[in-house]
Amino acid sequence: MDLALQLLFTGIGIGAVYALVALGFVLIFRATNVVNFAQGEFSMVAAYLMVVFAVDLGWPYWLSFLLALAGMALLGAIFNLGVYYPLRHRTFLPVIIATIGASILLANSVLAIYGPQPQVLEGWFDTPGIQLGPVYLDSQYLLIIAVTIVLVIFNYWFFEHTMLGKKLQATSQDKEMASLLGISVSTMIMITFIYSAVLGGLAGILVAPVLFVSIQMGSTIALKAFAATIIGGFGDVAGAIIGGLALGIIETFGAAYISVPYKDGFAFLVLVAFLIFRPQGIFGERVAEKA
Amino acid sequence: MTLTRRDFTAGLAVGITAPYVIGSARAQGATIKIGMCVPVTGPAAEQGLWAQNGAKLALAAVNKAGGVLGKQVELVIEDDQTTNPGIVLAFSKLAAQSDIVGFLGSIRSTQVHAMAPDVLKLGKPVMIGGTDPALTHMGNQWLFRFRPNDSYSGRVIADYGVNTLGKKKWAIVHSTDAFGTAGGKALASALEKLGTPAVLDQGYANQSQDFTPVVLAVKQSGADVLGTYFTFENDLGIFARQLRQLGVNIPWVGSPSVVAVSSTKLAGPALFGTYGVADYAEDSSEASKSFGKAYRDAYKTAPDNQSAWPYDALTILSAAINKAGSTDPVKIREAILATKKFAGAEGEYNFDQNGDGLHGYNVVRNEKGTIVYDKHIDFND
Repeated sequence: MDLALQLLFTGIGIGAVYALVALGFVLIFRATNVVNFAQGEFSMVAAYLMVVFAVDLGWPYWLSFLLALAGMALLGAIFNLGVYYPLRHRTFLPVIIATIGASILLANSVLAIYGPQPQVLEGWFDTPGIQLGPVYLDSQYLLIIAVTIVLVIFNYWFFEHTMLGKKLQATSQDKEMASLLGISVSTMIMITFIYSAVLGGLAGILVAPVLFVSIQMGSTIALKAFAATIIGGFGDVAGAIIGGLALGIIETFGAAYISVPYKDGFAFLVLVAFLIFRPQGIFGERVAEKA
Repeated sequence: MTLTRRDFTAGLAVGITAPYVIGSARAQGATIKIGMCVPVTGPAAEQGLWAQNGAKLALAAVNKAGGVLGKQVELVIEDDQTTNPGIVLAFSKLAAQSDIVGFLGSIRSTQVHAMAPDVLKLGKPVMIGGTDPALTHMGNQWLFRFRPNDSYSGRVIADYGVNTLGKKKWAIVHSTDAFGTAGGKALASALEKLGTPAVLDQGYANQSQDFTPVVLAVKQSGADVLGTYFTFENDLGIFARQLRQLGVNIPWVGSPSVVAVSSTKLAGPALFGTYGVADYAEDSSEASKSFGKAYRDAYKTAPDNQSAWPYDALTILSAAINKAGSTDPVKIREAILATKKFAGAEGEYNFDQNGDGLHGYNVVRNEKGTIVYDKHIDFND
């Protein structure tokens, strides 16, 4: 029982990281109908920005955090203007290829600027964790879980109860109709990219003290987050969160009770099962092709 | 004599191309080229940088001492991307350059296995750092190893844990790649010979984000000592932190990555008090000290085995070519195998007929972040 509780906590913690990155995937997919394969690199860039501000320059952690997120907002805007906007009238394939290209560019740019050495980023708290009965709670995982809960509530409020959120939803549902109603579609897409970059960056900053800061950190997380997005139902915000958490828990329990070396295999086995038996994911609805 | 249009065109063509042909021929013969496959990108890009640093340090020393066969030595580097297809591609690019006389391959056994068939086809000497014992025992006469293989590391880890630390209940944690699997097997076999078979043999996949299930398996096994073979320092850092967080504080004797500079930096206090077998230990010999000083002077940081083995490999390869008096691969091979009692940064090289240069390991310990040399254990086989 003690073992199961410990595994459950860790599974939720790592699942929350997948969920945060998956959320970025979903938001951009809803707004543009394309998958942004550079979402994982947003996490990596933000973690390196934190290292530059908090470690190299020695600025206060909170200020570094805000500056890193501001940097990500800027990167999101540049990404939209440089990668998505010029290809917005093309089919989804060139855009997806462009995002893959941008992901390679981001990873190698950071490699060229910062070098290949993995970096250590301390967490928010001085205490690494707390012992609650038989379960050790890593303080950084606790923070990640708390931030995920807050973001779920914020997203619900933002998309359902604010005019901007409703405009973003309208744009994602039908761009032509939204445009006819006077909504600036390009502005909405710009806001989506900025928000997604900030979300990806937030995931990167939060997970950096656990996984260290390295060039590969983004792609490793993004692969699982992508699987989580499909499991949850592509395009569904709640699905991304549930998919991420489910994936984290499944792989942690699978590793502990079946096989550690095949840990990643469980995640992708679940993904394949979903693609075969429920391709629309947990929350997705079966949609017929338009006539 | 009349000049025809054909003669004129031919003369013009010769006139235009001659300087380039002569220049090219001169350039080809001006230096002795050594190829190097190294990760510039991918998960081991950091280790690749260290390897390049070590090789370049040796290159500078060799060239300063007059070079090889009276010519300066040139290093031609190709990125192996830290992947098996990457190193096959990198090696094929280098192999296509016929004026490259020898190569530095990978420290990763998996990658050496991947490139080995092409090495055999090419028939030129390739220096390697991969420690899977099989690499020099599979009939490939062109592979020469500049680190002690894991049949030695397994025996040293087992011997130190059982006889020095007095521990009998072993948990083995190893990567499931070629290096980790071979290392894990070597340690398990050495423990069985000592009459203390491991109570847990746990593999893990590289680039894991979480090691909680592994740590809990170690905890539940009731082991009183831990032996590890980690490939990547990142993985080791995450594992070390989670191990300590979940309350596992048993003695830990690991493969060289436990005491690598990068691991020490990433894991911090989580690795304090651990023991490691290290092919490179700065205080183990005068040659090691001298390499350590030269490396610190050049790069302002401490070296480890990632840079020590390419340093030795380039030094010994250059000396072998000089000794052979030719770039003929067979003669270079013979000269490398004839290398005896060579004091290198990694230890004293005595090549056997399999191509293994080193036959023992140092044991070092992490004392609050400082790697301290304990002892050297050599084997005669």
